[in-house]
Amino acid sequence: MKVLIGIVATPENERLFILDKGKPVLTAVNGKNPEETFGNYSILKQHLSKINDESMKGPGVFKFRYGPVTAGVREAGCFYLYTYGEKILRATIDISWKQRGIAKAMLDKSPETALTMAERVCSNFAMSHSVAFSRAVEMAVDISPSLQTKNWRTLLIESERIYNHLYVIYKLASAAAQKVLAAHISALFEEALRLNERLSGSRYLMNINSLGKLNRIPEISNIEKIADKYLAVAKQFTKLYKHSLRNYNYLDRLHSAGTLTAEQAEELGLTGPTLRACGVVDGLNDTTEHLISLPVITKKEGDALARMEVRAEEIVNSCHYLADHLRASDSWYDATEKDTKSPNANGTGYAVVNSPSGAMGYYVEVNDNKMQRVDIFTPSYPGMYAVSQGLEDLIFTDFPFVFESFGVHFADAAI
Amino acid sequence: MIRWWPVFGLKRRLTEQKEYISPVDLRQPKTGIFNRSLFVYIVDVGSSNALNFEISALESPQYNIHRFGIFLTDSPRHADVLLILGRPVTKMLEPLKETISQLPKPFYTVTIDDHPGQPGLNGYPELPNHIAALTGVPSPGQILGLLLDIAKTKRKES
Repeated sequence: MKVLIGIVATPENERLFILDKGKPVLTAVNGKNPEETFGNYSILKQHLSKINDESMKGPGVFKFRYGPVTAGVREAGCFYLYTYGEKILRATIDISWKQRGIAKAMLDKSPETALTMAERVCSNFAMSHSVAFSRAVEMAVDISPSLQTKNWRTLLIESERIYNHLYVIYKLASAAAQKVLAAHISALFEEALRLNERLSGSRYLMNINSLGKLNRIPEISNIEKIADKYLAVAKQFTKLYKHSLRNYNYLDRLHSAGTLTAEQAEELGLTGPTLRACGVVDGLNDTTEHLISLPVITKKEGDALARMEVRAEEIVNSCHYLADHLRASDSWYDATEKDTKSPNANGTGYAVVNSPSGAMGYYVEVNDNKMQRVDIFTPSYPGMYAVSQGLEDLIFTDFPFVFESFGVHFADAAI
Repeated sequence: MIRWWPVFGLKRRLTEQKEYISPVDLRQPKTGIFNRSLFVYIVDVGSSNALNFEISALESPQYNIHRFGIFLTDSPRHADVLLILGRPVTKMLEPLKETISQLPKPFYTVTIDDHPGQPGLNGYPELPNHIAALTGVPSPGQILGLLLDIAKTKRKES
């Protein structure tokens, strides 16, 4: 399948940034009408900071603001909810409260400086941002990272997936007032962050990746213990997850909340667990460099429960994948490094990685070893459209289940 | 049939007994009024989201902040400490001032600048009772250490 990740536009022309069977491709529009092929073309082209912003009036319709300072949504973002009685008729999402202009601030900086800024776009996706940016720059300046670097990047993205998915499930369990489940999942979430620190030196996997290489290789003496810990997380989580699937109080809150059909998800250009929960197999796992890609988990229902189930199964898969490959990582040290030829000072590059919430894409132009252009395409932007659509016709008590189940973040949506 | 959760809660002891150390000294003398309970309201004004995750980690059973009488509150009107995450984007300056105006006296403000020097962000406005300023992404244990210093609570030692 083909997914439109973003649009790279200049005053002269417009190119479509597409993920085609796991391969990122940049194609010229050439007089065709891309709206007919990609339902999300106009969303990406307009790139509005107020999503689904259409006023609604009528007898009994009440509009209220939720955010940017509220305990329910801790990030700086704002919802305008149009309600009739308890029912939500429309949800407008304003992402501008968190707009920090990071892509613009990267311009004229060296690729190394811009890489540290990419990690700060949304720090819980720091590794995905870092790898997507560095792959794009490596393509632009013609650097080939070693096999060892590629493998470690793949593993570190999986460890990012584990803690992000645990966070989402923790939030869902909290919202459903499942205090015991939430407490145990949050303990695993903290455990996963500590494992990140043992593996990379940073709880959010920051400052380990660099252009063409890693800043440091995880210590091999700890690897066996860390692999065991990941298996313990998988075992404990499986036990909790199986138990949660027998708890009807929990399931009833998630079931039928924020349902999207496969057609709606494809129309919005969604990727990752949200699309897979609608029964669509995306090609994101094929973006993995070198190591064997993981099996794709899908569910059919497209609701908050299906999204939770996809994430839950991915946590277990990723833990086993990490444990297996960490144990094999000592063999990577024999891998011969490629001859490092001097990189080009100019070039254009693009890349997509499989972040915990979907496709993360970067398009970069480097000129004289300075960033001339950086376009960042994140899964949270189309995800916000999905949240807005998912909230319609529900009642306000369903709000946290819909919002949290999509795994979107304002920091990631508002670059 | 619904299976009850508490069987899981009783099997494992997750709460840790550690000494939690603040990475910074307090900038002004503390009051003893929060000795037995400290209510904290969180406001994100432009953080990169790692701090939001760290606050969620702080709520995990390993830290069990309630044993120290520390609670996260859902309204600034119930708060003793305003914890400001990130350096403010322009649009969040007014909501930040509005939030501060809602705090009941006495109160403290604490800032955590997760990525100092990042372009595109503003400095902090003048903050009343600014008792501590952290930089970087402190761990939940360090944040807890700071809150314990403010609450003037004796730390549990392992």
